[in-house]
Amino acid sequence: MRTTQRFWLVPAILGLACILAGCATPPPASDPAALAEFHQANDPLEPTNRVLYKVNTALDDYVLRPAAIAYRDVLPQAVRTAIHNQLNNLATPVKLGNDMAEGEPRLAGNTFMRFVINTTVGGLGFFDPASHWGYPDHDTDFGITLAVWGLPEGPFLFLPLLGPSNPRDATGRLVDIAADPLGRFGTGAIVTGLNWGHFAVNVVDARSRVLGDIASIKKTALDPYATFRSLYRQHRDAQIGDVRNFNEHTIPAWYPQPQAPATPR
Amino acid sequence: MLPRRLVLMFGAATLAATTAPITARAQSAADAASFVKATGGQLVQTVNGSGSTEQKAQEMAKIIDTRVDVNGIARFCLGRFWQVATPDQQKQYLDLFHRVLVRSIDSKIGEYKGVSFAVGRTVNREEGQLVSTIITRPGQAPSDVDWLIKQVDGSPKIIDVIAEGTSLRLTQRSDYSSFIVHNNESVQALLDALKKQVSS
Repeated sequence: MRTTQRFWLVPAILGLACILAGCATPPPASDPAALAEFHQANDPLEPTNRVLYKVNTALDDYVLRPAAIAYRDVLPQAVRTAIHNQLNNLATPVKLGNDMAEGEPRLAGNTFMRFVINTTVGGLGFFDPASHWGYPDHDTDFGITLAVWGLPEGPFLFLPLLGPSNPRDATGRLVDIAADPLGRFGTGAIVTGLNWGHFAVNVVDARSRVLGDIASIKKTALDPYATFRSLYRQHRDAQIGDVRNFNEHTIPAWYPQPQAPATPR
Repeated sequence: MLPRRLVLMFGAATLAATTAPITARAQSAADAASFVKATGGQLVQTVNGSGSTEQKAQEMAKIIDTRVDVNGIARFCLGRFWQVATPDQQKQYLDLFHRVLVRSIDSKIGEYKGVSFAVGRTVNREEGQLVSTIITRPGQAPSDVDWLIKQVDGSPKIIDVIAEGTSLRLTQRSDYSSFIVHNNESVQALLDALKKQVSS
């Protein structure tokens, strides 16, 4: 009985969300090309997403972008790279978990070796010798893991603060944050402060690395929202494809290399 | 039991039938790779050369005109609105698209000083050959850029550039089509916006 009641709830909630959120009206079936384009964009919540895009742009203009510019201007490149390496190294436990969940032992091995080398030889993670020793970095997160498991992306979402996303990737983000062992050590004001500080530096670091790219898209695109949407979805597809099709042998740089290239990607 | 000669002949015939297209494809894959290598070499030489910015822009325009299927890309980017546009609008659009492309490439010449590239493997795609390269710029992480090559009127041409998994023409098409849809489906609105871009 309860399950049937819950089944009723799902369309009811979705319908309510649609009314509150404002759905895009699909083009009429008499215009198949327009309809195909509508489905390809995968953005039934476009009106709401565009409002949130504007909110985000304002937040970015007044807070995030100035912070990122200040960060870039105040600190020299070498320091910023070291901070980025450090943040990357702190993120390895979650990455390792995702590599394993995706069933990618070689990638998991790379991540593990990166952590060991960079934490020790790499001076507590401020340097990245592992990349030069045959253990390159790669992208992964729980959104990618869910995709590898076969979960579809769902409709495109533009989220406040997080930017372009979808239900799958947004869930993945929450799981990654919840699973991060870094957030579990100790309690108290200092630990909370450190965690927020870590979060803030992460955001500023990420933003400062795309200052030029975002500025040039906003300058040249006629519809920046549509451009960001397209770029985000293509980029995610590429990241997921990279993990799915990864079947290369990773051979440390110091080990004798095979003559022929490894299995093609 | 079949006579041995017959079996052998049959085997040879099937082998020939199956390998002929494979070798042809391998040949065109090798051609595509060497085309990318040559074009990339020209681009790198121009970008890193000692000429003035104007000279570089001129050389760049020459490379674009001979190596890139600009009209094909332009048509792709207009998507379903190509059919909607009048012949005069189509003509205007092709001209504007060409100028916007050249302009945006020119504006990036400076950023790419000191660039180098390495050609990787080639994969056959439905539309042509996809040649992957790794582009290295001083002080930046190397980036993966794939080039989609197709035979256009008998010579190889670049029909798309895929940087870090994002296709240039696909992104451009979503930009243009979304702009047109949000401007009362008017192709003229796009032409006006492009005119503004080239004159600014």
